[in-house]
Amino acid sequence: MESQVLSIRGMTCAACAQRIEKTVRKLSGIGQATVNLASEKLFVEYDTASLSIPVIKEAVTKIGYEVVEKTDNSRITIPIGGMTCAACAQRVEKAIKKLDGVASVSVNFATEKATVAYDPAKARVSTIKESIEKAGYKALEVSKTDAADEDRARKQKEIRTLWTKFIVSAVFSLPLLYIAMVPMIKVIRLPFPGGLDPMSYPLLYALAELLLVIPVIAVGYKFYTIGFKALWTRSPNMDSLIAIGTTAAVLYSIYNTWQIAYGEFAAVESLYFETAGVIITLILLGKSLEAVSKGRTSEAIKKLMGLAPKTAIVIQDGVEREIPIDEVEIGDIIAVKPGAKIPVDGTVVSGNTAIDESMLTGESMPVDKKAGDAVYAASLNTTGTMRFRAERIGADTVLAQIIKLVEDAQGSKAPIAQMADIVSGYFVPVVCVIALLSGIAWYFGTGGDLKFAVTIFISVLVIACPCALGLATPTAIMVGTGKGAENGILIKGGEALETAHKINTIVFDKTGTITEGKPTVTDVLTIDGGEGSFCGGGDSLLALTASAEKGSEHPLGQAIVIGAQDKGLELLPVDEFDSLTGRGIEAKIGGRTVLAGNRKLMDERNILLSGLTEASDKLAGEGKTPMYVAIDGVLEGIIAVADVVKQSSKAAIERLHKMGIEVAMITGDNAKTAAAIAKQVGIDRVLSEVLPQDKSNEVKKLQDEGRKTAMVGDGINDAPALAQADIGIAIGSGTDVAMESADIVLMRSDLMDVPTAINLSRATIRNIKQNLFWAFGYNVVGIPIAAGVLYLFGGPLLNPIFAAAAMSLSSVSVLTNALRLKRFKAKSQTSAPQSAALRSVEEGMGA
Amino acid sequence: MKNSIRRIALAVTGVMAAAVLTACSGLSGLDVVGKDSVASFEKVLDAAPDKIKADEMNVGWSFSAPDDTVRFIWSENYSKSPLHDVMLEFDAKPFTDAGLDTSKLPENYAAYEGMLMVGTKLGDDDLKYSGNPTALAAYEQIVGKYRDSIGYHTALDHYNVNLGDGNLFEWAKDFAVNGTTKENQDKDIVFVLNPEPLVAAGVDPEKVEGWVYTTVSVDIDGRPTDVYKFLKPFNLR
Repeated sequence: MESQVLSIRGMTCAACAQRIEKTVRKLSGIGQATVNLASEKLFVEYDTASLSIPVIKEAVTKIGYEVVEKTDNSRITIPIGGMTCAACAQRVEKAIKKLDGVASVSVNFATEKATVAYDPAKARVSTIKESIEKAGYKALEVSKTDAADEDRARKQKEIRTLWTKFIVSAVFSLPLLYIAMVPMIKVIRLPFPGGLDPMSYPLLYALAELLLVIPVIAVGYKFYTIGFKALWTRSPNMDSLIAIGTTAAVLYSIYNTWQIAYGEFAAVESLYFETAGVIITLILLGKSLEAVSKGRTSEAIKKLMGLAPKTAIVIQDGVEREIPIDEVEIGDIIAVKPGAKIPVDGTVVSGNTAIDESMLTGESMPVDKKAGDAVYAASLNTTGTMRFRAERIGADTVLAQIIKLVEDAQGSKAPIAQMADIVSGYFVPVVCVIALLSGIAWYFGTGGDLKFAVTIFISVLVIACPCALGLATPTAIMVGTGKGAENGILIKGGEALETAHKINTIVFDKTGTITEGKPTVTDVLTIDGGEGSFCGGGDSLLALTASAEKGSEHPLGQAIVIGAQDKGLELLPVDEFDSLTGRGIEAKIGGRTVLAGNRKLMDERNILLSGLTEASDKLAGEGKTPMYVAIDGVLEGIIAVADVVKQSSKAAIERLHKMGIEVAMITGDNAKTAAAIAKQVGIDRVLSEVLPQDKSNEVKKLQDEGRKTAMVGDGINDAPALAQADIGIAIGSGTDVAMESADIVLMRSDLMDVPTAINLSRATIRNIKQNLFWAFGYNVVGIPIAAGVLYLFGGPLLNPIFAAAAMSLSSVSVLTNALRLKRFKAKSQTSAPQSAALRSVEEGMGA
Repeated sequence: MKNSIRRIALAVTGVMAAAVLTACSGLSGLDVVGKDSVASFEKVLDAAPDKIKADEMNVGWSFSAPDDTVRFIWSENYSKSPLHDVMLEFDAKPFTDAGLDTSKLPENYAAYEGMLMVGTKLGDDDLKYSGNPTALAAYEQIVGKYRDSIGYHTALDHYNVNLGDGNLFEWAKDFAVNGTTKENQDKDIVFVLNPEPLVAAGVDPEKVEGWVYTTVSVDIDGRPTDVYKFLKPFNLR
């Protein structure tokens, strides 16, 4: 199975999205087909053996929509020097075409420019320039437009076109409305041309209205071409409703104009030209506002895209050269001056500086960087000059991955959208039937009043708004996920966003999540006069244990190694090493067998703990992890290691409690140590002495209790538990592994982002529900009113013009409501005062 | 954007010019009300031929109500008509009995031998005819020269000749059916007087006999407006 995202143009409402999904799903070999109306994207998963993109494109094009295959191609224009004739241009073209990754090339001899479309993952600008030079010409300074810029420009153009159409339409509709309405106004006398008096000159009046409505129809021609085409293919959409409604109005008015010409002057009172004109104008206004609002829903991604600098200063032969970012190669040494942005990901090779990574992590405090530290594209170098080695470029940078992740999330659908999708599929045909039945019923109910019946028919058609239904969910998800990204919270899709709001239990991994994950040695206890051959005191025990732990990757083992190194102790060579998962290690050093680990390990090896049981319990009660050390089968001492609780842990857990969420902690530590940490931060439920492979089982047990469970971990050793949980939240990293394993990725280590993510999910789902309520409510109330139900009981009758205005406003109101989410405020630990209790815990642990 | 605005301006100008040209050049062709009113007026004349008389004194023609209490008079030559070109002539008695002081009537009124005349001067045109002037030909001159004096009332499906100051002579477009309401047409012709100057001259409108004093919807500048009128409706059939 392969997946691909295609851009779709020409969709106007949820019915269009439904139709495309239905059509594509019918294709043999399709796995999944999801259309996002707001982002105008089709996501397809298909079997390459039986289906191809051209077939999918053809199927979508056949039903009246334009497909633009999502391309990562960049476009570049390279000015070329030295061309003297058309043959030179041909030669350059040939040279570039030969390169792998070049999609198309066009060399214009007159302008002396080569326009190249290329895949940046395969071809590089430097290679293209090189090929030009090799062909014997000079490649000059380049200007580049990437796919995102083109997409942005296309959307801007679309908005401009819609506004222009609206202005043209309004220019003709306003006088049309004026001459249609003024003769009916009794209260005030507005100036009116006598030559158009509908009583005295009804034909002139009708023809003037006709003349004014023609340009309006002309600018709104797309409603007719798309609407009738959709109707013809039995998949009516919103445009079909507009097309049918306004066509009915215009045809009926033309018929009445003809009647006037033949002496039926009363027909002047049955002209609906202004209705058609104003409906089109209002819908165009709605569409223009909608396009602007839709653009604003993806502002977050645009901001991210605009973060990376366009050039980089590369050290070549000891000289600084500013080159376009696309020309940066892996391994290049890049200089970054204070105030400049990091162009690509890499590792610092020289210099000390502080880097503001807030654009990636949301963390406002600059992070100190020295040689060996990682730096990320788009982050800001604040103080010192430094140099770093480029390690990830182009689509591989963390920024590019974040952008892709957010884009994918914004294109995904939440389960809550299903109901709206089902309704949208039947909506337009049902509305057409209701309009027709209402018109017929009123025609006979009023004893043959065709004018009244037509009014009802048009009103029902134009008040119905499938757009609002279609936009309700995706717009909120786009704004919600975008807002998350702005705050360093990457939500991987609509489903994750929706599930997160239902979470009532959160399981935190202890090490690296609640604690800093950087444990330190706090106590070394030895048994004086032990039976074994070892009796070298605390430092000797630490040195021997550290030697044994050298091969361990476990944080506790590494803490012991660092503890010994900090004391300047010499580590001994290890003959044999064995890691005993979830229990400890075993090593042979100089003929002696060193066993370091938890009580379980000691019990397994029948090592008596009696001498240190009390001390061990005391250390555990202080939240420290006691590591028993036995040499040649005899207990020789305990090395206690403690981790520092993160500043934000207690506040975050308090906040989760306030949100009604039960908080659990999962750890391999013994019960006492775990309980002590739990007490410090306010954990409700402690799952201690859990082996890494059993973490997912513990999560499952919670789920079996009927709890919606989220697991918060570092995304590497907690991967099974993250996958098992209803929502997996990876914390404190923007690494590939973390991004892969979790549903939500928190870019910084601030635990306050966990409640923020849940709150964002709740706010988004609440927003979606409001949108759906308004969208459904609007149609449920609006359609019966337009059908004359109120009028039947002595209430008012809806003028089709007001119906059109209401319809336009419904989409805009849904979008406006979705945009309210942009006001969502994240609470971070940096703004929360650190509690005294937390401080004392840290001090007690020697942090 | 500048180009777009220019294109919009051009389009608007084009459409407006087309509208104006249509209105000016083809006015007579597109003036369906004026044209149809001639045929309709002919039907009125045909329905009561004995009520049509040449009016030498007013250099025109008169059409009398079936009870001869009121006449609609229209000139055949505006350069020669002594008082008005279009007018109503009616018995003064019902009004004087209701308190009318004729000396207080405005200039468009004239009192003569127990009759009151109210109307308006359309112009000073020395009208020419291809043959002998007829009542219908004289009416056609009004449509041709002073089209704005001819009106049509959609709700009633009536044509009218505007006699100025809210006074009208109306007739049904179709004597049988009101084309707007599709109901039977209740009156064929109606003489309409604006009560305001009469009331100002002492008339108590409730005491006027032979005229109906009521509110009616009339078109003023193309807008339907409710006003009080004295009406004298008749059926010619």
